[in-house]
Amino acid sequence: MGRDPMPPLSRRCWVTERSLLPLLLPGLAAAVLLGVALGPYGLPPGRILAILGGDRSDPQAVTVLLNIRMPRVLAAALVGAALAAAGAAYQTVFRNPLVSPDILGVSAGAGFGAVLGILLGLPVMAIQMLGFGTGLATVGLVLALSLALRGTGQVLVMVLCGIAVGALAGAGIALVKLLADPEQQLPAITFWLMGSLAGIKRPDIAALPAVLAGLLPLLALRWRIGLLAMGEDEARAMGIPAGRLRLLVIACATLMTAAAVAMAGVIGWVGLMVPHTARLLTGPRFDRLLPASVLIGAGFMVLVDTAARNIAQIEVPLGILTAVLGAPIFVGLLARGARGWSE
Amino acid sequence: MPLLAARDLAVGHGDRVLIRGVDFRLAPGRVLCVLGPNGAGKTTLFRTLLGLIPAASGQVLLGADPIDRLSRRQIAARLAHVPQALANPFAFTARDIVLMGAAARLGAFARPGRPETARAMAAMQDLGIADLATADLALLSGGQRQLVLIARALAQDAAALVMDEPTASLDFANRRQVGQAIRRLADAGHGVILSSHDPDHAAALADEVLLVNRAGVLALGPAPEVMTAANLSRLYGIAIGRTETADGRLHFH
Amino acid sequence: MIRLTRRSLSGLILALVAAGPALALDGARFTDATGRAVAVPANPARVFAAGPPAATLLYALKPQAMVGWVRPLKPQDLPFLRPEVADLPTLGRLTGRGDTLNLEVLLSTRPELIVDYGTVNATYADLAARVQDQAGVPYVLVDGGFTQMPQAIRQMAGALGVPERGEALARYAETTLADLDAMLAEIPAEARPRVYFARGPEGTETAGPNSINAEVIARVGATNVAQTDSDGLANVSPEQVQAWAPEVIIAVDPDFAANVATMPEWQSIPAVAQGRVYLAPAAPFGFIDAPPSVNRLAGVIWLSHKLYPQAAKGDLHGQIADFYQLFYGPRPDAAAVSALLGD
Repeated sequence: MGRDPMPPLSRRCWVTERSLLPLLLPGLAAAVLLGVALGPYGLPPGRILAILGGDRSDPQAVTVLLNIRMPRVLAAALVGAALAAAGAAYQTVFRNPLVSPDILGVSAGAGFGAVLGILLGLPVMAIQMLGFGTGLATVGLVLALSLALRGTGQVLVMVLCGIAVGALAGAGIALVKLLADPEQQLPAITFWLMGSLAGIKRPDIAALPAVLAGLLPLLALRWRIGLLAMGEDEARAMGIPAGRLRLLVIACATLMTAAAVAMAGVIGWVGLMVPHTARLLTGPRFDRLLPASVLIGAGFMVLVDTAARNIAQIEVPLGILTAVLGAPIFVGLLARGARGWSE
Repeated sequence: MPLLAARDLAVGHGDRVLIRGVDFRLAPGRVLCVLGPNGAGKTTLFRTLLGLIPAASGQVLLGADPIDRLSRRQIAARLAHVPQALANPFAFTARDIVLMGAAARLGAFARPGRPETARAMAAMQDLGIADLATADLALLSGGQRQLVLIARALAQDAAALVMDEPTASLDFANRRQVGQAIRRLADAGHGVILSSHDPDHAAALADEVLLVNRAGVLALGPAPEVMTAANLSRLYGIAIGRTETADGRLHFH
Repeated sequence: MIRLTRRSLSGLILALVAAGPALALDGARFTDATGRAVAVPANPARVFAAGPPAATLLYALKPQAMVGWVRPLKPQDLPFLRPEVADLPTLGRLTGRGDTLNLEVLLSTRPELIVDYGTVNATYADLAARVQDQAGVPYVLVDGGFTQMPQAIRQMAGALGVPERGEALARYAETTLADLDAMLAEIPAEARPRVYFARGPEGTETAGPNSINAEVIARVGATNVAQTDSDGLANVSPEQVQAWAPEVIIAVDPDFAANVATMPEWQSIPAVAQGRVYLAPAAPFGFIDAPPSVNRLAGVIWLSHKLYPQAAKGDLHGQIADFYQLFYGPRPDAAAVSALLGD
C-alpha cells in the first residue's frame, strides 16, 4: 500500500557514464576526419596523408590543407563545442530547457560590436576583439543591472534584463546597418550576422584560450553545477554557494559564447539543440551532459561546416544549415520518445 | 547540546517581521512540529533556520555555533533540508536526486563515486524506495517523491533535518508512509523539525509542538500539553474541539 | 619571354608616369592602395576579382584572365558581354567576414592574382593581407572612389599587365569627365535639376549625395534632394518626397518606374507630373551603382542627356554604344541600345 499501483517508468539512458566517451569520441574523430578529407579542392586521401607526413612537393595542396581546411575544421569544432557547452550551462543554471546561450544578450552584444567594427573599417582582428569585448560587456551590464534591481540576482530579473539589453544591442545593429555602405559593408554585416566559418584564418584560432578558459572551470565543477538545476534554495541547503557558483557559470558560458561569436558570427540553434539532444542521450545530470554536449556540439558543427563547404560552390551560411540539418535530427529523437525534461 | 536551537528569534523579509520570540532547542531523537495556519510565516521561519535568509533579530544556533558564522558547506553537513516536493523542469532519476546529498561532503571538483552511491542506495533502502532508483522523478507519486527527497537528506548525513510541509498535498496512504519514515528517522537519532497545518498529523508525529500564527508564537511544549482545544481555537481563530481515542491519540474537529 | 619583359617594363614606365606616387612597380613588386608591397606576376593569366566592382573593372581590362564571377550573370546581361565569359562559374565574394567564397574553391581555380576595387580602409587592407598570407596568392586593392577612377583604371591595368588597355580606358574616362565639366560650366546653378534617387519597389529607399550609390548624380551637377550625411541607404516616406518636390526621379526598380504615374501619392510630384522619371539601365551593369565601378561612366553620359537635354552634345545612343564597345566588347546595335535605354 502507499505505492503506486502502476510500476513507475524508468528513463531509458542510452549513454551511461561509462559509455559516454567510448561512444562519442569516435564520432567526433570520424566527423573531423570527414571534414579534413572533404573539400571543394580535390585532395585524395593519399595526398592528405603525405602532406601530413611532411611532403611539401605541391605547395598549393599544402596551403589548402594546412592553411585553409584544417584551421577551419578546428574552428568549427571549437565553435560547436563552445556554443553547446554554454547552452547546456545556461539551461542548467536557469532551470529551463528552452534557454539558449544568447539569453543574456551575448550574441546581440557581440554582434553589435562586430558590425560596428565593420562600419568603422577596423582590421579583422580588431573587429573580432571588439565583438568579443562588447559581448562580455553586454552580459556584464545585464548582471550588474539585475544585481542592482534585486540584490540577489534572481534568474527572472536577469533574463528580463537580458531581453532589454539584447533589444538595445539589436537596435544598435539595425542602426549600424542603416549607416553602412550597402555595396561592401552591408553584405559583410549581413553575412557576419548569419554566421560563417568561411573567413576563418589561422590567427583566428587565437580564440582557443578563451574557449578553454570558459570550458575548463565548467568541466572541473560540473557535478556541483548540476545541483543548481534544483533551484537556488535547494542548492544552498545542500551546501552549494549557489549565487557565486551561478555567476561563475554565467561568466564562463559567456566567455565561450563571446569567443565563438567573435570567431564565426552568430550561429543560432546549436546552443539550444545540441544540449537538448545530449540530454536525451545522457539524462539531465550536468556532469554527464556537459562532456556529451561538448563532443556532440563539436562533431555536429564540423559536419555542418563540411556540408557548407561542399554542397555548392557558393558558401551556404551556417545558420541556415544548422537549422536544416539539426531540426530533423532533433524531431527524430523526440519522436523516439526520449525525454530529458519534465512536462 | 541541542542539534538546532533558536534564541529569541524574529523572522521576516526586510523590515516586515512575521514571527517574533521563537525559542526552541531541537535535541537528537526528537520531532518538533511547527503548527499554524497558512500565511503565519512557517516557510520564512524555516528559511531562516536553514540560514537561507538572515534573521530579523535573535540567533539560530547549529550546535554551539551561530549559523551566520558557518559556510554553506558547514551548515549542510549538520542540517539537511527536505523541501516541498515541487516539479523540476529536468527529468532526473530518483538516484540522481539522492546522490546530490553528497555535495556537502565532497570537494569542489569531486564527483560522487562508489562510496557516495552506496550511501545513496542505503538511504533509499532505509526508506523502502530502493526499487525506484532509476525511475524518472516526474513519474513518481507525491509520496514517493517526498521519500526521495528525504533519502537525499539522509544521504547528506546531517544530524538535523528541516522539513517544510512534508505531508502537504499528499493523500492519506502517502501521508502515513511519510509520517512513519519521519518517526523512524527520529528513532534512529536524528532531530527533525517540520511544519504542518494539520493538527491531527502534528499530534500523531511530534514530540513537541510550536504554535505560531500571525500574532506570533502562542505556545511551545510537549504535544499533549500544548495542543489544547483552547490553544488551537486561538491559533486558527475558530472553535476547535479535542477528543482522545482509547489508544491515546489526539483528534481535533 | 622577351616580349613579356618588354610589356611589363612599358607597363612600369606608363604606370609611374600616369599615377605618380600612388603607384610603384618595383620589378614584380606592386604597392597597392593600402600601402602594401605585393609581389605580382608579370602578366597574370588567371585573376580573381574579390567583389562586384572589381569584377566589372577586371572584365573591362582583361576579360581573358577572369576565373569566375562574383555574382551570377542574368540572361539579359549576356548579349552585352563577350561570349567567352558567359560560362565562367560564379564563385562568390570575399567580404571580410562571412564570405560567400570558399578559399578552397578559389584555389582550385588556380588564380595567380586577386584584385579588389573599392573602399580602402583598415578592414579591407587587413583582409587583403590575411587572404594573401593564408592562400599564398597576391592580393591587390585599388581605391574605388569615383574621382580617382582614371588613376584606378591605370593602376589596375598595371597590376594586370595590360597598361595599353588601361591607358585607353583611362583616357576615355578622363575625356568623358572633361566633357561633362565643360558642359556643366555653361549651366547656371538654377538650371540644374533637383533629383530624387528612388530605389526599391516602392521607391521609398534612397541614398544621400555622399553615398557610393548616388555619387554619380552629384557628379553630373544635380542636387540630390535627400540631404543626408549617411553613406548608407535611407528609407523615406512619399510624403517626404512630396515635400522635396524633385524635378527628376532616377529609378532603379523597373516596376516602380512603370507604375509611379498611377500611384496617387506620387502623381503630384513635379517629376512625375512632367514625365521626368527615368529608369536607370542595368544590363550588363547598372548606370548609377550596382556595382559602383567603371560602368558608372555610362551613367555619366546618360544623366548628362537626361538632365540637360538642351546642353548635352552628341547622340546619346551612339555614345552609349561606343562606351559598351570600348569597355564591354561587343558593340550593341541600334535596337539593343534603344531597348537598353528604354526609348
